[in-house]
Amino acid sequence: MRLDRTQRGWAIVSLAIFSVSAMVYVFYALNAPQGPRGGSTIGLVFGSIGFAFMLFAAFLGARKRVPTWRIGRAQAWMRGHLWLGFLALPMILFHGRFHFGGTLTRVLMWLLIITVLSGVLGTALQHFVPRAMTSDVPLETIYDEIAHVRSLLREEADRAVESICGSLGFTKASIEEGQRAGGFTALRTMAASAVPLRTSAAVSAGASAAVAAAPEIILLSEEESAPLRRFYVQEIRPFLENPKQRGQRLGDAQKAASAFAGLRTLLTAAGHAALDDLSDICDEARQLRRQEQLHHWLHDWLLLHIPLSLALILLGAIHAVMALRY
Amino acid sequence: MTTATTPPGLVDITIDGQSVRVPAGTSVFDAARMNGISIPTLCHLQNQTPVGVCRLCVVDTGARVLTASCVRPVEPGLNVVTNSEKVLGARKTLLELMMADHPSPCTRQLNSGDCELETLASAAGASQPRFAKRTVARGEDASSLAIAVDHDACILCDRCIRGCDEVKNNFVLGGMGKGYSAGIAFDLNSPMGDSTCISCGECMVSCPTGALTNKGVVGTAIATGPGAQGFEAEDLLQIPVFKGVSGTFLELNRGAIVKRRYRKGEIICREGEFGSTAFYILEGKAKVSISTPIAHVKTQGGAKGLFKRLTSTLVAREEDKREEETRDRTIPIDASVDLSYGNPVAELGPGDLFGEMTCMNFYPRSATVIAESDVVAFEMLRNVLDIMLKNKSFRAQLDQTYRRRALENHLRGVPMFADLSPDFIEHLKESVELQRFAPGQAIALQGEPADSFYLVRIGFVKISENYPGGEMVLAYLSRGDFFGEIGLLDGGVRTATCIALDHVELVRVSGNDFRQMMERFPSVRKGLEAVAAGRLAANQQRMQMVHNVPIDQFLSQGLMEAQSLLILDLQNCTRCDACVNACADAHDGVTRLIRDGLRFDQYLVATSCRQCRDPLCMVGCPVGSIRRRNSLEVIIEDWCIGCGLCAQNCPYGNINLHPFEVMIDDPERTGRKKAAIKQKATSCDLCTHLKEPSCVYACPHDAAHRVDPRTFFADMLGQGHPK
Repeated sequence: MRLDRTQRGWAIVSLAIFSVSAMVYVFYALNAPQGPRGGSTIGLVFGSIGFAFMLFAAFLGARKRVPTWRIGRAQAWMRGHLWLGFLALPMILFHGRFHFGGTLTRVLMWLLIITVLSGVLGTALQHFVPRAMTSDVPLETIYDEIAHVRSLLREEADRAVESICGSLGFTKASIEEGQRAGGFTALRTMAASAVPLRTSAAVSAGASAAVAAAPEIILLSEEESAPLRRFYVQEIRPFLENPKQRGQRLGDAQKAASAFAGLRTLLTAAGHAALDDLSDICDEARQLRRQEQLHHWLHDWLLLHIPLSLALILLGAIHAVMALRY
Repeated sequence: MTTATTPPGLVDITIDGQSVRVPAGTSVFDAARMNGISIPTLCHLQNQTPVGVCRLCVVDTGARVLTASCVRPVEPGLNVVTNSEKVLGARKTLLELMMADHPSPCTRQLNSGDCELETLASAAGASQPRFAKRTVARGEDASSLAIAVDHDACILCDRCIRGCDEVKNNFVLGGMGKGYSAGIAFDLNSPMGDSTCISCGECMVSCPTGALTNKGVVGTAIATGPGAQGFEAEDLLQIPVFKGVSGTFLELNRGAIVKRRYRKGEIICREGEFGSTAFYILEGKAKVSISTPIAHVKTQGGAKGLFKRLTSTLVAREEDKREEETRDRTIPIDASVDLSYGNPVAELGPGDLFGEMTCMNFYPRSATVIAESDVVAFEMLRNVLDIMLKNKSFRAQLDQTYRRRALENHLRGVPMFADLSPDFIEHLKESVELQRFAPGQAIALQGEPADSFYLVRIGFVKISENYPGGEMVLAYLSRGDFFGEIGLLDGGVRTATCIALDHVELVRVSGNDFRQMMERFPSVRKGLEAVAAGRLAANQQRMQMVHNVPIDQFLSQGLMEAQSLLILDLQNCTRCDACVNACADAHDGVTRLIRDGLRFDQYLVATSCRQCRDPLCMVGCPVGSIRRRNSLEVIIEDWCIGCGLCAQNCPYGNINLHPFEVMIDDPERTGRKKAAIKQKATSCDLCTHLKEPSCVYACPHDAAHRVDPRTFFADMLGQGHPK
């Protein structure tokens, strides 16, 4: 969630709650005969409020399980999760008078700190990464579709290179219509002799560009096509097969541009259109790799945050029962 | 020579030495033919205006040059020679010139041996012309389902053009080009199949060569099988419904009509199937029905798993009526009857025609028809049906059946007409006029005096309004919809242009009857006035929008067409898919949005129904189950038969077909049911039952919004980003 002006209301309320709590704590700490204690009335109030905030924050997960229930907009729940979850930390610190206490409370305190910090990290990531994703990955597709799109890119590249170099043994025998990135179905049948399919770039730029007339295809002689064949087999195909592998020239946009520019000088003009298509395909593959990276940044922190949150709630409940009962 | 004994109005002339007396104004060609003297011709037909373009009918009248007899009127004392050396030589040269420009043998000569040009050339010894053959082909046009066009075989005789324009008044055919590139053209030189041609066959019947041939001649015909019987033209002409149909046409369309026998219980056609034929029942009774369960898919939302299964169910319609459903509705189908919503079954009998929309417009079958007893029926292709529908007696019989069986339901299907008294309905049943319109034909033009109110009986009508620089589509109306009330209620002038999109049949209520209805039934008047006011307001809004048309990209993505867009702010969106999950949760696990699509600036226009102002998806639905509700939402009714036409028509891929498990009658074990998978089209319904789209409600990051693109993007397009 982006932290912007729309959060101002929550920010002011949270600041007010924090300020009032801090003043109450300071007043209480200064005036309590035996110093502040978690078991005192005020200490228990801080503990209860802090635990309530934690519970509310934890309920966001449950809220997401019933998205159609009209129990408040998910956006309000998320804002409450962020701000109240963050406020839980000072509340619990006030409750524990900034001491970590025994084993259970020590564990609880560290769990809380790590959970809140992971939440802060997650908030920061969700503030910045979507912008990066939007600007760096214009050909973004649905994350789960990336593997499928990659296989389509490989087929498209095979077809592009084989249309001017002759068979390299890559093109599938079966002729089938392919599914393009983003759920768009290819308009053209994928045939061995066909021109390269439109790329997602064309789809994103508008349907009209996607169906632009294809240039005439001329088969290059073996001698003419040798540089392209070599480059394709040694660099493009491996890159499309495994774009995550380090050390590949095509994995870097500038180096790739330089490589394609060099190759262009070795090919006759008849091969330039196919080369441009291959360059576009590699660019899309790089974008998909970037999307995967950013996707992990966006979501992987939850692998830490959610289990810790659950543990925190569970142990917090145990602590509350034990503290109040015994 | 006219003598003193020649009666007034008659003329005496001499042809080949033979004195003949003919009425003044008669052409030399007709005068000769009336007296048994045959003059060859290619461009002239008795029922067409003579044009004298082939010049083959030249005769010698003693003038400086030979003259075309078909356009030369007789004069007193005219001495005509039709077979002199000079005349025969001229004809032979003309035939050689034409043969040099004609493939020999042409399709017609090859199939039936009656190409008029080749027959004449053969008789004149001009089959092998002295002149060089044409080397550049003019091409063929196989786009029509009924007629094949071979431009190379065309001799520019103009017979097809006159047949289309003068005889049938269709005005589809015309001439184009000059010199070697001259030829015939459909509309503005469109392929025949894409043109406004209705395949009446008149051009084909008129053509003297193989330029226009029936596809039946070249092998397209209804597949015959067990129980099917083909016909000769003579046999068909003996059947009452074919009385008056052109024998030549029937002869050319052998195979385009078969008589079929169906045993009791046999399926004649199935809902959702694509076809190209219509059926006319001669004997027996058939049951027509929709097998799709008439029930709402009702979801109250809930947790996944068991709880969801308990809360999501198919419920009877009575339990979950929509707000605007104040009375029983009927389901329009492609037959002379409508189906009741609650019990979608009806009976068809002798004299009933069904499958007309499928046949004429190639829409999917709207219902399943099963023989209730042994049934004998004609199955016919479009060219035969079209000719039959032009047959007055057959047409009258169909209209009578419609008035008797479906018109009342049709009238009462319009909610505003619910209060009409039975006597007035009876009056309307007799007084309304049933009209047919060909594709592209104008029903009413903006600015014309309004004199009628129309109900759509078959087909789709496009309602559009002109504005400076273009045309704005206001609506597509289908069976059960009505139009024309605004003009009659407000000032008597049409406010929009109404065009038939395909084969359209309308029920026309005259202005007098309409006014009488308004006076006698105030509630009807009130209802229609409310509808008219609503339509005018909506039109006004659309026109306002057109004047604020923004930049190219906005237009090229079709955003201007949308009334409501689901946009995702990509700078807020964390790609958590909460919107997709919420949509699936609200719709029985089947999402109606895909978090992908075109981008406009930082916004992703998600693949979800845009509620277009020009909803192309509505065109063609064979059962009228996709409709606009409250002027905004495009909804798909429960009786969708899953043919997928709407999904094909949607330019943005926003309608999908999803399988649902339903219980249907088991055809093998009477009275028992079995599970079957039925397809149904689904699209975003804006979660109207939940007040707010679930995708928007469930987005935790303030990224998903349903917006009116015009207002939302206005700031961005004009002054900067939206606030």
